Amino acid sequence: MASLTLDHVSKLYEQKGLPPTLAVKDVSMSIKDGEIIGLVGSSGCGKTSTLRMIAGFESITEGTIRIGERPINKLKAAERNVAMAFEGYALYPPLRVSDNIAFSLLRNKMPRTRADTKVKMIAELLEITNILDLYPPSLSGGQQQRVSLARALVRAADVFLLDEPMSQLEPHLRAKLRARIKDYLIQNKMTSVFVTHDQTEAMALADRIAVMSEGVLQQFGSPVDLKERPSNLFVAGFIGEPPMNLLKAQVTAEGRARRLMVQDEQGRQAFSFGVPDRAEATPLQNGRKVYVGIRPHKIVVAPGGNGAVERVTGTVVSSEWLGDQSYLGVEIGDAFLIVVADRSVRAPHESQITLGLPYEALHFFDSDSGEAVLHGSDLLRA
Amino acid sequence: MAYLEVKSASKSFGKKRVLEGLSLEVERGECVVVFGPSGCGKTTLLRLIAGVLEPDQGEVWIDGKSVMGVAPEARGVAMAFQNFALYPHMDAFENIASPLRARKLPEDEVKQRVHEIAGLLRIDHVLDHLPRQLSNGQKQRTSLARSLVHGPSVLMLDDPLRNVDAKIRYEMRLELPRVFRKFHSTVLYVTQDYKEALALGNRIGVLMDGRFEQVDSPVGIYRNPKNQRVASLFGDPPINLFPIRPERGSDGVVHAQIGGQRLALGTRSAELAGRECILGVRPEDVAFDFEPAPGGIPVELEAVTPFNVRTVTLLKAGDDTEILASRPEDNILATARGHRRGWARIDFDRALFFDAASGIRL
Repeated sequence: MASLTLDHVSKLYEQKGLPPTLAVKDVSMSIKDGEIIGLVGSSGCGKTSTLRMIAGFESITEGTIRIGERPINKLKAAERNVAMAFEGYALYPPLRVSDNIAFSLLRNKMPRTRADTKVKMIAELLEITNILDLYPPSLSGGQQQRVSLARALVRAADVFLLDEPMSQLEPHLRAKLRARIKDYLIQNKMTSVFVTHDQTEAMALADRIAVMSEGVLQQFGSPVDLKERPSNLFVAGFIGEPPMNLLKAQVTAEGRARRLMVQDEQGRQAFSFGVPDRAEATPLQNGRKVYVGIRPHKIVVAPGGNGAVERVTGTVVSSEWLGDQSYLGVEIGDAFLIVVADRSVRAPHESQITLGLPYEALHFFDSDSGEAVLHGSDLLRA
Repeated sequence: MAYLEVKSASKSFGKKRVLEGLSLEVERGECVVVFGPSGCGKTTLLRLIAGVLEPDQGEVWIDGKSVMGVAPEARGVAMAFQNFALYPHMDAFENIASPLRARKLPEDEVKQRVHEIAGLLRIDHVLDHLPRQLSNGQKQRTSLARSLVHGPSVLMLDDPLRNVDAKIRYEMRLELPRVFRKFHSTVLYVTQDYKEALALGNRIGVLMDGRFEQVDSPVGIYRNPKNQRVASLFGDPPINLFPIRPERGSDGVVHAQIGGQRLALGTRSAELAGRECILGVRPEDVAFDFEPAPGGIPVELEAVTPFNVRTVTLLKAGDDTEILASRPEDNILATARGHRRGWARIDFDRALFFDAASGIRL
């Protein structure tokens, strides 16, 4: 186990007959010993190229990667002391599951009895004890993925790299295995980096998440940071389910008082509210066009008290009861908001509903650059 | 009489029996979701109703008449698939209008109908755009508008939200019920996503091995599943299942050992004494606390895995029983790392009991 540093790392792919592609652009990350890191983004964002550069399956075009204090740019994959679970599983078909898992332990001269104990332990954790004697081709995709994970996690390595480690896990096992794997990584202080297209997975497992888009690291922070202080529109829209409500708005001034005029998708005014007259609200200057965002579960149904809450009234156009919670679709003018409410909330179709939009939960993004200009929580800071 | 009736339909492909005497009744204006794992026969059922396939046995009735032998296009059934394909050379208006043009409706009526549905689906401002100028969400809405515009007798949607991104999926999930209501559509909606099933169905048919295991309202399916299999398909994280053998104590109260603790099972458990059971507890009905509480099971907090807007915890009792608990998002708990002692309390008023052998709810 060791720290892992990416120092201004870039990856350029040059293929004959194709224009060169800069897949990873100047990415820097400093990962602490024992930290669990998720690399997320849509396909083609550079997350897998980044992982493969750490593993040693891709050359590093520019920059340096270090494990501990040791630069690894020039080391072969096998010399880096990293363990990797592949998205395509890459199991040895002629070996039983147990031998697949034990393979690298035995190659590193671990005594057979000790290797068997380790295999038994990881097999129990991943619920594959009953298939240890089978051969990989007879397994389902979900089982093969668990074997591939077991083979990586059972090893002793400085860094663990996991490519889409849980994409095929059976739904009834996913919640439990996610939690067990997270606990195992923490208990064994394993520095790990996993790639996933599913932000839900990253939020569940990671201490910190690196959000990538078009080869650029958009934000690197804890799940709470990403949810509460997204650095731009991309991160705001990518992280969180249901996704953040984002509405176009423009600041107008009436004398000293500023108002935020919120619009629907077609640019018609839907509702408006006052901008607090505070120094922190300076970025919301007269005439500025922004997107205002609020996460669906931060909207308060039937708000009480006074607090720093903007109240708006809308029409319930849809309501979903999902067992453990309810989702509402609410129209205010022609603007549409998704609201997550408690499972006990009953909101009939076409009924009027008053919603509270707490200032601390609002986010403002520049409408041209998409960069965050203000998080509502800063407005309330004394 | 129901508007759409499937009467004991069976269908085999070669030796493989896909539908096994399946029956279903859908009322006019109702949305029934057909929910089940892949390969359970969902798509075959839709094809029988559309008339693309004929059943080996059984019949399909629409509006009081058998449609056996009636050609697909004469059944008035519209079907839309996972990949809503649009005509690339036609603008959104013409795409939506195409079923009306095929029926040679007067121009005024075409315009009026297209604008009405486009307004409802919030695409009235992009009607002059070509498909390539539309966002993915607008494409989705355009193709939905096209399948609804001529007022089909039965609208069948085969997993339409499967390949769209999260934002569009959530928006459409909330908007579709309103669209169905406005058009009084009779809808069969196929999905593998239990949330879509709960959100969209007036009723849900849980299809397994070619038969409906249960057909009921969303609340009925979630709160009163017919058996353990149905219970396990709805909910994420899934329902906790604990094998128990309830016993009546000397005080007359029915107890069971759960997580190494002897717990009273609540008022509904009188007839369970002496019977091998499976106790089903949904994660949202397990309360976790760092303070001891009466009726609490001492547990170790193994891991915290935030899940969307909820916080999921894996708890381990003294006898190694694992318990999943879920509650509204909690940033303090979410950043907790490492083990802590706590107490888990089960809400027995919401608990489910299944027969250990048959899996049937007691």
